[in-house]
Amino acid sequence: MVDAARHPKVDIRTYTEVERVDGYVGNFKVLLREKSRYVRADRCNGCGECARVCPIEVPNYFDMNLAPRKAAYVPMSQAVPLVYNIDLDACIHCYKCVEACGKLEAIDFSMKDKLVWEDVGAIIVATGFSHFDPSVMPEYGYGRYPNVITAIEMERLNNTAGPTAGNVIRPSDGTNPRRLAIINCVGSRDKHFNPWCSNFCCMYGIKNAVLLKQTYPDMDITIYYMDIRTPSKGYEEFYDRAREMGIRFIQGRPSMITEDPETRNLFVHSEDVTLGRVIEREYDMVMLNQAAVPQPDVDTTSSVLNVTQSPGGWFMEYHPKLRPIDSPNDGVFLAGACQGVKDIPASVAQGSAAASRAGRILHSDQWEIEPIVAVVWEDRCVSAQGKKCGICAKACPYGAIEYEQGKAAHVVTAKCHGCGGCVAECPHNAITQMHFTDAQILAQLHALLAERPEEKILAFRCHWCSYGGADLAGVSHFEYSSNERGLRVMCSARMDADFIYEAFRLGAGAVLYSGCHPQDCNYITGQRLGAARAERLMKAFEKMEMTPGRFRVEWISAAEGDKYARVINEMQAVLNSIPKEKLMEEIERLRPEMEKRARRLREVPQVEEALEYSRQLEIAMVGEEA
Amino acid sequence: MNHQPETFADQVRAIPGGEHLELCYSCGTCVSKCMIQQKVEPEYNPRRLLHKVMIDLDQEAFADKTTWLCSACDLCYPACPQQIHISKVIGAIKQLAVEAGLTTYLQTAVVNELTCVACGLCVEVCPYEAITLVETSVMFRGKAVTVARVDPNRCMACGLCAASCRSASIGLVDKFSNEAVVAELWDWIRSPVVEVTA
Repeated sequence: MVDAARHPKVDIRTYTEVERVDGYVGNFKVLLREKSRYVRADRCNGCGECARVCPIEVPNYFDMNLAPRKAAYVPMSQAVPLVYNIDLDACIHCYKCVEACGKLEAIDFSMKDKLVWEDVGAIIVATGFSHFDPSVMPEYGYGRYPNVITAIEMERLNNTAGPTAGNVIRPSDGTNPRRLAIINCVGSRDKHFNPWCSNFCCMYGIKNAVLLKQTYPDMDITIYYMDIRTPSKGYEEFYDRAREMGIRFIQGRPSMITEDPETRNLFVHSEDVTLGRVIEREYDMVMLNQAAVPQPDVDTTSSVLNVTQSPGGWFMEYHPKLRPIDSPNDGVFLAGACQGVKDIPASVAQGSAAASRAGRILHSDQWEIEPIVAVVWEDRCVSAQGKKCGICAKACPYGAIEYEQGKAAHVVTAKCHGCGGCVAECPHNAITQMHFTDAQILAQLHALLAERPEEKILAFRCHWCSYGGADLAGVSHFEYSSNERGLRVMCSARMDADFIYEAFRLGAGAVLYSGCHPQDCNYITGQRLGAARAERLMKAFEKMEMTPGRFRVEWISAAEGDKYARVINEMQAVLNSIPKEKLMEEIERLRPEMEKRARRLREVPQVEEALEYSRQLEIAMVGEEA
Repeated sequence: MNHQPETFADQVRAIPGGEHLELCYSCGTCVSKCMIQQKVEPEYNPRRLLHKVMIDLDQEAFADKTTWLCSACDLCYPACPQQIHISKVIGAIKQLAVEAGLTTYLQTAVVNELTCVACGLCVEVCPYEAITLVETSVMFRGKAVTVARVDPNRCMACGLCAASCRSASIGLVDKFSNEAVVAELWDWIRSPVVEVTA
């Protein structure tokens, strides 16, 4: 960090919070709150006189509250910039520090937080992770038994710059422990708390054991584990080395720890799974390798940056395999454990990758996007006529639509990813998606249902998941009904209710409404928009007394080819079970209702007109004849 | 799609409560939490039983004491990191064992039908719902007499019925019969007092 601070092109703002992010890729405007330290950074030389005279002592957060610090302090010795800070919550306003500072006059109690707007081209989120608090697991007694400590506390104890100058002692009596137990998976791989594996604890526990064994060769160290996970380069060799050093490994998750109230020694109860027997062993000290959890303020960060979260509270990447560094919001990148638990080598790799991804934006004058963006037909938008609407702005998962009553809705093209949610939601057909215009989809729909529509199964597939699923079903030779006709759109959010009504008006035998699973959606919340619409459709068809199974909603991922084939076959079975005359009668009965509901579709511009419009728009945007 | 024959693990999973069987990753928390393992039977091991089921060792699972000894105290349930309701899984295995014609090796409660007045107190107190009132013919009493009946496969021999019965008509036999318990109590009271030093 000190090195980075010296770099002429790196500007580090510590003790600063991001309050708001406006704009889009390449043109972000960021509002920063520079918190007041009550010490002027331009005058403080880091001499530490203020801390020496300060009479107030509070627990030091950096030392895991194992040691005190003053109310005038630096958070750690490598702090950047090395400027003292006054903790106003603890300060008693004796002003001794002001006297001690003397002629430098660096201490200024009248300082206020400063709000600054900055223009930035790209944002890298590297907010890291936090630690699980094991005191919520009463069986391990953390917080009750003084000699049960966490891994981070051990880290401070075993650090030469730490509160004990590297002397590992028992908190109860200050002696060096002779027998140490390390318990893995505290709060992780546990459905009551965090179901995930915290990735680095196995190696971290072994590292601490090896370090302690080097300093205290007589120490008897036992690691309790469920599975030892050493998958990366050189890790297994390190595990071997630990065993060669005489560190004991016991497979079994301890069920409880009890304490001898006199000696403050601890008894760890567990099953030795390899023996198949319950064992109880006595230790002087127990170290808990607690789970890694997301930062407590992850919700604020994700709403400020418009970055979604995966289950558990880690930031969501654009694609788990192919784009693990990009967030769904263009120009915002993820690095390190904030995206998911990872160890140091992986974090460094991701950090470097994020920097080069961001550099790509900073070094280019133009930014290429997919040409499938949404455009507003301004003369049709009711907002332009002064009416209250804003449905499109609410539907957009990216916040790309600027809505103001009295003006036509405006799509920020650079932010639009082309899910088509706004297009389908707009009740006045005032928005269209380039290359997926209503007219184009309608033309496909008419072609697919041109002949004997009552035998056909029309499948709306989303580009990223169910289309891939159908593709996989074909590649893997899963047989499904040849009456299926697929229609691809980018997202289930684009599957306009009008299309479904139109398909049934034309006499389609069955319609499948398919898309991604909610957590897999390529367009953040696009699937949820589609799912809500599908639910409304389902209710409407129930009311119309349509045979159940003719309209079906399924979420199929690109890996579920078997599911796609199964769903289509089941729908075919439903169609087969309805007698032909009955089906024809039902289609005829519902046709007027469908016609009524799909009426707006006939108002949309026809293919030629829509193509001409998008050509003009292209010219307007690129600024030249294509 | 799946044409494989139904395995023993499938059968257990099909019974309500047994469906979380596969989630077990053998951490051993349940074993070291278990009071039966600590106080009654050192061979008792729910983790091993679950594993036996997973690899379809049905006869070994039926012969395992764990199948019959679980008292469903559910001490392990809140401790299990995979949130498996272990007593329900064991219940499912036990149900299959009973269907296969096996019975518990425990000394279960026995009803003295000659003195039972069918007050229903034991039915109320039984934590395992093992006791029901049935109409049957009892020698010396008549053809249709209502008496309590114990389902031996549900009874865990806890003795709550014996303690609550007002006519001493229901209870355990041998080592835990009323007489044996009282005799042991007398032995304990008459035994010489030992000075307890700190």
